[in-house]
Amino acid sequence: MFALLIQEHSEHAPEHGAAEKFDAGKTLIEHVANSPIDHPLIHLPTIAGIDLSVTKHVFMLWLVAVFVFVVVTATVRAYLRQERLVPSGLMNVIEFVVEYIRDGIARPNVGKKWVHAYTPLLLTFFVFIFCANVIGLIPVFDVLGLLNHYVFQPDEHSFLGSVVHGGTTATANFNVTAALATITFFAIIIAGSRAHGFVQHWINLVPHGLPKAIYVILIPIEIMSMFVKPFALTMRLAANMTGGHIAILAILSFVFVFAEMFSRAIAGIGVGLAVSVPMAVGISALEIIVVLVQAYVFTLLTAVFIGMAIHVHH
Amino acid sequence: MNNPLVQPDPGLFIWTIIVFLVLLALLAKYAWGPLLKALEGRQEAIRKALDDAQQAKTELERLQHESAQIIAKARQEADAIITRSRADGEALREELRTKARAEADGIVKNAERQIQAETARAVQQIRHEAADLSVAIASKIIQRNLSKEDNQRLIDETLRQLH
Repeated sequence: MFALLIQEHSEHAPEHGAAEKFDAGKTLIEHVANSPIDHPLIHLPTIAGIDLSVTKHVFMLWLVAVFVFVVVTATVRAYLRQERLVPSGLMNVIEFVVEYIRDGIARPNVGKKWVHAYTPLLLTFFVFIFCANVIGLIPVFDVLGLLNHYVFQPDEHSFLGSVVHGGTTATANFNVTAALATITFFAIIIAGSRAHGFVQHWINLVPHGLPKAIYVILIPIEIMSMFVKPFALTMRLAANMTGGHIAILAILSFVFVFAEMFSRAIAGIGVGLAVSVPMAVGISALEIIVVLVQAYVFTLLTAVFIGMAIHVHH
Repeated sequence: MNNPLVQPDPGLFIWTIIVFLVLLALLAKYAWGPLLKALEGRQEAIRKALDDAQQAKTELERLQHESAQIIAKARQEADAIITRSRADGEALREELRTKARAEADGIVKNAERQIQAETARAVQQIRHEAADLSVAIASKIIQRNLSKEDNQRLIDETLRQLH
């Protein structure tokens, strides 16, 4: 990211003349937000008013999904092909995750009867969100951007030229987290319907046997709560992923802000070495925990909500 | 709404759902399903192995207990047999001793009785002989032959007087 900021800065300078100021906010947002929909990586037709063109975040979703599928499936298949099932290497990690999510998240929440039904969903949530979070911490596209700028030097609108623009963390985009939360939303309804029947699931939303007047308040509250749950999931994940990146980028921006303020490169480098780099390293370390915790929280809350629909305590 | 951070993007929304559901279906079929089954199988195998070990241990304990019981019982029986035979021997010895003593007593008594009888008879005979002898001597002396009946009467009288 640091390297890309330098590149961006040098890129902007000759275009608009040396007088153009370094705009921290604009640069920052460009590194976190999706690539613009009107300049997608791959143009796809608009269906029912929805532009399905592949933007950076769609591309990142594909990348993460393919990566997760290939790595997990290859590891599991290789493990199961053995005559004696001795886990080794990455399989130990996968096994730990699988057993942890099955025994630590799914079983206590959805119960013994449904643990088989919902463990795959929770596992996919965890692994997918975790990998999508982690890929934002690995500056692979920033390196690619440098290569693109200094080695290949293609024009801005080639695939490689477009792919380096925009944030790499798809889970920092609330559209993505809203979609994931929508899956949780429907998973809750499906879980409740499978356990109690479709109609009974809706009846279960409110406790029974209360005075009629209370239902006037209670029914709107429960309906609101139904939507608040996925909304909270959406905002928590997206905000956490965006926040960390913005913090790192803002701190790194000090380098350019100070360099411009004093019109000397040495001022920027000094601030960078003394303040920006140590702080950015610290926040990056914190981010490593955050990406894990957020993936865990999303998975856990999904399990809790599904469990609430199955085990109605009123 | 110009901030790209809060730009609604239905395409991305749809794509996320598609990508996630496809990934879920593929992983569930090719990775999670078989893996969960294998893990369960392994758990089951471990549980079974432990159960078997426990069962074998219980069985062994039971057999040990049983064999100890059998040994104890055999020892007890042997002890009983020895005690009984010792008692039997003692009783037999006692019986034989009693019988022998009784027999010996019988023999001694018999002998005593015989001796007494013999003695009595001998005394009687001696008395008769002595009487006959005395009569003969007396008759010879008095030269008077008494009849046999007188003799006998005289003898009896004399004997009675002797007593």
